[in-house]
Amino acid sequence: MSQTPLSQNTAAEQTLLSPQLLAKLEHMELISRKIFRGRMKGERKSRRRGQSVEFADFRNYVAGDDLRFIDWNMYARLDKLFLKLFLEEEDLHFYSLIDVSDSMKFGSPSKFEYAKQLAAALGYIGLCRTDRVKIEPLDGKRSTSAPVFRGRKNLWPMIQYLQGVASGGNVSLTEAVKSFCLRNSGKGIVVLITDLMDKQGYEEALKYLVAQEMDIYLIHVLSQEEIDPEIAGDLRLIDCEDQDVAEVSVSQRLLDRYRSTLAQFIGQARDFSSKRGIVYTMTSTERSVDRLVSRYLRQRGLVR
Amino acid sequence: MNFVWNTLPWWGWLTLLAVPPLIFLLYFLKLRRSPVEVPSTWLWAKAIEDMHVNSLWQRLRKNLLMLLQILFALLLLATCLRPGCDGTDLAGQRYIFLIDNSASMSATDTPSGVSRLEYAKQEIRKAISQMQSDTSMMLISFSDQANVVQSYTRNKGEALIRLDSIGQTERSSDLNEALVAAAGLANPGRTSDKESSIDVQVAEALDAVLMIYSDGGVRKVPRFAPGKLSPEYHAVGSVDDPPTNVGIVAFSISEPAENGAAQVFARLQNSDDQSQSISVSLFVDNQLQDAEARIEIDAGQTKSVSFDLPSVLVSAETPVAVRLKIDQDDIYLQDNQAFSVLNPPGKSNVLVVSRDNPYFKFACSTELIRKQAKVDFQDWDYLTTEEYLEKSVLGDYDLAIFEGIVPDLMPRCNTLVLGALPKSDWKSVGENSPTPIFDFDSSHPLLTAVQMGSVTIINSDNLEGPKGSLSLIEASDGPIGVLAPREGYLDFVLGFSIVEISNDGDAVINSDWPKKLSFPIFVQNVIANLGGASRFTSDQNVKPGDLLKLKRNDGVERLEIETPDGRKELVESQKENSFQFSGTDRSGIYRVSNAETKQLQRLVPVNLLDATESNLTVRESLDLGYSEYKQISTRVPSRKEWWPWLLGAGLVLLMVEWLIYNRRVFI
Repeated sequence: MSQTPLSQNTAAEQTLLSPQLLAKLEHMELISRKIFRGRMKGERKSRRRGQSVEFADFRNYVAGDDLRFIDWNMYARLDKLFLKLFLEEEDLHFYSLIDVSDSMKFGSPSKFEYAKQLAAALGYIGLCRTDRVKIEPLDGKRSTSAPVFRGRKNLWPMIQYLQGVASGGNVSLTEAVKSFCLRNSGKGIVVLITDLMDKQGYEEALKYLVAQEMDIYLIHVLSQEEIDPEIAGDLRLIDCEDQDVAEVSVSQRLLDRYRSTLAQFIGQARDFSSKRGIVYTMTSTERSVDRLVSRYLRQRGLVR
Repeated sequence: MNFVWNTLPWWGWLTLLAVPPLIFLLYFLKLRRSPVEVPSTWLWAKAIEDMHVNSLWQRLRKNLLMLLQILFALLLLATCLRPGCDGTDLAGQRYIFLIDNSASMSATDTPSGVSRLEYAKQEIRKAISQMQSDTSMMLISFSDQANVVQSYTRNKGEALIRLDSIGQTERSSDLNEALVAAAGLANPGRTSDKESSIDVQVAEALDAVLMIYSDGGVRKVPRFAPGKLSPEYHAVGSVDDPPTNVGIVAFSISEPAENGAAQVFARLQNSDDQSQSISVSLFVDNQLQDAEARIEIDAGQTKSVSFDLPSVLVSAETPVAVRLKIDQDDIYLQDNQAFSVLNPPGKSNVLVVSRDNPYFKFACSTELIRKQAKVDFQDWDYLTTEEYLEKSVLGDYDLAIFEGIVPDLMPRCNTLVLGALPKSDWKSVGENSPTPIFDFDSSHPLLTAVQMGSVTIINSDNLEGPKGSLSLIEASDGPIGVLAPREGYLDFVLGFSIVEISNDGDAVINSDWPKKLSFPIFVQNVIANLGGASRFTSDQNVKPGDLLKLKRNDGVERLEIETPDGRKELVESQKENSFQFSGTDRSGIYRVSNAETKQLQRLVPVNLLDATESNLTVRESLDLGYSEYKQISTRVPSRKEWWPWLLGAGLVLLMVEWLIYNRRVFI
């Protein structure tokens, strides 16, 4: 009886994270360019002074301070009371925001699957370092809050949770991010995995995140058919989200124009992000998650 | 010259011009876009943003396929205009093509090495193919007779098929009949049907261009007024350089001499402008008999050659074929051979009916006549006997001579009648006493070498024969010697007799002719010509295409005639044992044999022997009646058609379009 869940677990893990990838990820660590205050004691240095073995600073004694932290050696030498301060080690808040709009269903593998894999991989790194890992679908539902995972033992619940995340719900990116920001005021690392295909624009959404003073990583996922469409003939293109129609007669001219538009779009997103301290990474679904994490994200300083 | 020709009526153009707009419309109507779901149309919308501004022109710019289709349709339209260049404009609505297919048109001095006739046909084919669709044309081929190959038609295809059917003949050429046929169709008041006296309006009289394709080697046309015809003479063959040709223009075998030997005469003509040296060979029954080498003939001159035939051959019991051949081949082969025959002498049956006239007996007692004829002398009473009736009806006689009497039933043979009138159609229109002879036709075979001037005749009747009779001897008041046809035979009637029988039965001499040398010669001529005895050697001179008339008196019902090319034809006897054969298209020896016994009866030579045909020089002008027509050109400039190229370009375009359609993304 006990075998069945185990084997199921393994299968589910393998669809999102292969054992090889897991082995690689175990040695990695999420890095925050900022030092945030955590909620619980963790493995990270905190700005907060607390109880740890690492010395941070001295300060003058004021009445009411805990006498246990007075540096008596200093009192002996200087005849003044100083309090010894130690660095506090805290946990890190790590958020993965997955765009679940219909446009994410395209590609092979689909952008949505890819996003889930990426979120799982980054989440596992966080779990290994006992960070607070929260993976939230951007479906704009304010009532349900995503669970927080912590500790390696929560790998299976996290994956099970990710399996349950379904795409759909065409909420605009801005709305969904705004909802997230309202519910999560804590600082930390935010990885936004999206295709940025929102007709209302992605700029507002990023501004909300920037306002949260979070360490923001934007992973722009595009499928190969978006990067280099293989279509021909006279076509009626239907938008899967709002059923908008665009009639095209595909010619080399049009394809060239599309490619230049796409390049322009990516360039704008990169510029916008870099101006606001957001680390932008564009990836294709054809690039493996393993490669993306171990190479590109490492280059960009998200993991170590 | 027209660069383009309209080949379509106005409604055809309307239909065709409607095609490009139709393609244009259909292209937009047919544009059924297949729906494809994409993550977002946002990028696409941005990409086609500027295309929405001027969508029609944007579409036009994109629709390469439609442009190609319209271009293709326009190319097809252009082909309907038949663009071309360097053509001669055939002005006029009617064309009559006269094509010479006489023997000389078989010469091969054309640029492409084909015969003149074949070249002329090629030229006409080109001319016909460049005609406009409303032009009517007529084809007439002519040699010594004209043949309307194709009456007026606008159907080019039919005309071209008929043109191909024109074949080479071995006949001489005579333009007269063809001109009459052509003029009858072009000029009012004439008819192309010469059998009919009624002028049937065969076609509306209209101006017509008469295009004569010939080498000009035709007999002169003395009286011809073109009327509404405008003749154009297109000379076929090499005009500047007269072709090299030496031909046999005469060939005959003389009567055997006393020793039984005969002589063969031939005349050779050189129509080149340089002297030629040739050699000739004489074949007897296809065995080389004699030859003569290095015969030099000056430019444009003729030269005679003669050979002796030994008596052994001449007196042979079976017919012998004699053939003379020029050993050197040239561009015109037909006149390089001539044929003749030596048929064994056959005796003709002659009946002489007279009373108290010994002179015929004397005249017929010469050795030559004895050799040629079996003469039966009878009195007047014989005409009432059963024997005469039977023999005359069966046609046993070849010649009958009646003096002073005419039978009620004329025999089925040629006759000579003296001093009497055959019952039908003959009239006496006056008497002469004495009879001064004014004139006689010494050129006629019956009177050859007969000197009538010194003959005295006392009483004679002036004669009036039936229709078609020919006066040979004239007295002061009218003809006294008349030759007239009777059902395929000839009657030679003299208005006087040698011996007159008076009412009381006495014989009175009426003429001193029997005492003159001319009388036996006359009898000899009559037996030779009317009795058929002249067939000893070469028979009548039959030319290709002539009707061959044969007469047998041995009761043969059917003859088999083998032509030179080995074809055998059966000829049924017509009335009075006469046979007629019209298939003498080729020159050569025709073998006549008994159809039942297959026994060879005789040989008949057929020769063209025409100096005009043998002269291959292409005439620079053609004399038609009172006008002379210069040759226009040896080559009719032909229209260079461009439309096949346009059509080919259209097809290539179609293929390119297909390629683009299948790989349109990779334009």
